[in-house]
Amino acid sequence: MASILIGMRGGPQFWAALVMATVVGCNSVPARFMGKAMERIGDPVIPVAQKEKDPVVDRTGLSVLWAGHATVLIQIEDKVFLTDPLFTTTAGMLSKRYIEPGLDPASLARVDYTLISHLHFDHFSFGSLDMLPAAGTLPIPLGVLAYTPVLAFREIREMDPWESLEEDGVRITAVPVQHFSGRYGIDIPWMRDRGYTGYVIEYRGRTVFIAGDTGYHPEFFKDIGRRFSVDLALLPIAPIEPRDFMRFAHVEPAEALQIFDDVRAKFMVPMHHRTLLQGFDPTETFAVEQLEALAEQQGIRERVIVLEVGERREILKSTIVIPPDG
Amino acid sequence: MTKAPTIIAVLVIVAVAGGQAHAQAPQNSDKLSTWLPYQAIPSLTYYSGAPNSAFGFEWELAPVLYSFGMNRQISPWYFFIVEPPGRFTGSIELNLAVQTFMRKVGSSYFGFSGTVMGFVPLIERGEHLTLNLGVSLYRVGGTTPVFGVVGVSTLFGMVHLNLKHSPPDNIWITSLEWRVF
Repeated sequence: MASILIGMRGGPQFWAALVMATVVGCNSVPARFMGKAMERIGDPVIPVAQKEKDPVVDRTGLSVLWAGHATVLIQIEDKVFLTDPLFTTTAGMLSKRYIEPGLDPASLARVDYTLISHLHFDHFSFGSLDMLPAAGTLPIPLGVLAYTPVLAFREIREMDPWESLEEDGVRITAVPVQHFSGRYGIDIPWMRDRGYTGYVIEYRGRTVFIAGDTGYHPEFFKDIGRRFSVDLALLPIAPIEPRDFMRFAHVEPAEALQIFDDVRAKFMVPMHHRTLLQGFDPTETFAVEQLEALAEQQGIRERVIVLEVGERREILKSTIVIPPDG
Repeated sequence: MTKAPTIIAVLVIVAVAGGQAHAQAPQNSDKLSTWLPYQAIPSLTYYSGAPNSAFGFEWELAPVLYSFGMNRQISPWYFFIVEPPGRFTGSIELNLAVQTFMRKVGSSYFGFSGTVMGFVPLIERGEHLTLNLGVSLYRVGGTTPVFGVVGVSTLFGMVHLNLKHSPPDNIWITSLEWRVF
C-alpha cells in the first residue's frame, strides 16, 4: 500500500525501481518460459494415429503403454496401474501439449491404482482424474490431500516415503526422490520439502519403480536398488535446459541412466519428455536423442525401451500357468 | 472513520489467531508468514452511483469459508487462511472488506462491506473458471445498500471479476479482485 501511495505521488525512484524490477523479472526463467508458452498457443497438436482400443489386455506379465509425459499405463498380470494421468490440452492453463494423449481414458474399463507423484499441474490434473473410470485407489504424497477435490476413487491414501500400501497381493511403497512441491507459487514455502514422491509397485514377483519427477540423488536411488529387485524403471529424462535451473529437480538423460544403474533395474522406459512445453530444450526430441546415443555408447540400448506416444510394449511375459480346462 | 484502523487491527489479530488455529504444524509459521503480506495487496474497485463515481482500492478477508468441493478426509472449514482449492472447487464464504476511494463517495472516502459469496466450479474443478454468486451489504457514502453479486474467477482462483448491483439505489460496483488465500 505504501509503495502504491509513493508511486501515485510520482516518486521517480519508485518508477525507476519498478522498471528495473520488471526488466530483471522479464529475463527470469519463468518469465521467458511464459513468453515461449505464448508463442506456442496457436500451434497445432500432433495427433496420435494408432491408439490402443483395448489398452488393458487379458494376459501379460508386465506391460506398459506410454500415454505421453509422465502418464504410463502399467499392467502386471491382472492389475492395472496408471501414473500421473494427464489427458488435458494444457497443464496448468499455460503449458501446451505438443502431441495429443496416446491413450483415450474412455477406453479404460478399470484402473486399480492411479498414482500421483506430486502436486505440479503436469502430474496432478483435476480434469484428467475426472476422465478416469470411478473406483480404484489413489495413492498421493503426504501433503497433497489438502489439494485434492472430491474424486470418484474408492480410497485416497496419503503416503510418506517408505510407507507401503498393501492389498490384494499388491504392495505399493512410496520412495524418496529429489524434487519440490507446491502448486500455486504461494505455497512453495510450506510445500517445498513435502508433497512429492516416487513409488515402487510389487505384484506377483514383478517390481516397477516410478520416479515421477526427480533430480539426481545417489543415496536415494542406491537405497532403492538395495531394497528392491526392480524389473522396470520409469524414469524422467527432461527438461534438460537451462541446466543450472533444472538440475536440482530434473534429471537429464545421463543422470537418468545413472539412476537406472543405481536402482539396478533390468529395463528402463523414459518418460516426461516430448509431450509438453517444458524448459528450453531446442527440440521435442532433444532429450530422447541424447538418451539413445548414451545408451548405445554404454551398450545397454536393448534394455532402454523408448516408446512412442501411445505405444504399448510387453516387457515380461506372464508366468502364471493356466490349467488346460481353465 | 477513526475506528477504521482499530477495526483493521482487530481483524488482523483475529486472522493471525484463526490462521494459527487452522494451519497444521509444522507449516503454521510458513503459511502465516506467506499469508500476511499478501493481505496487504489491494484489489481494484470502481463505484458508480449518484452523486458521484470513484475508483478505489479494496482489502478483503475471509473469516470463514465452508468448502463442499474438497475431499472428505480434510475439514471443510477454513478460517482466514483459505488455500485456493478450498475456495474454487466449490464453497461458500463470508468475506469482510474495507474500501478506500480516490474521491469522496457521499460523505466519505471509505467503505466497508460484508459479503456472503458462493463459488461454483465450472472448468477443471474451478481451477480454470468458477462462477461467483453472492450478496453484499455495504456501508458506503452514508448509506447501507444491499448488492447482488455475480462474477467469475480464474487463474487458479486468484483473479476474480465481480459485478455488484444495488437496484433500489442504482449503484454499480465493479471489482477486479486479487484473492491469494
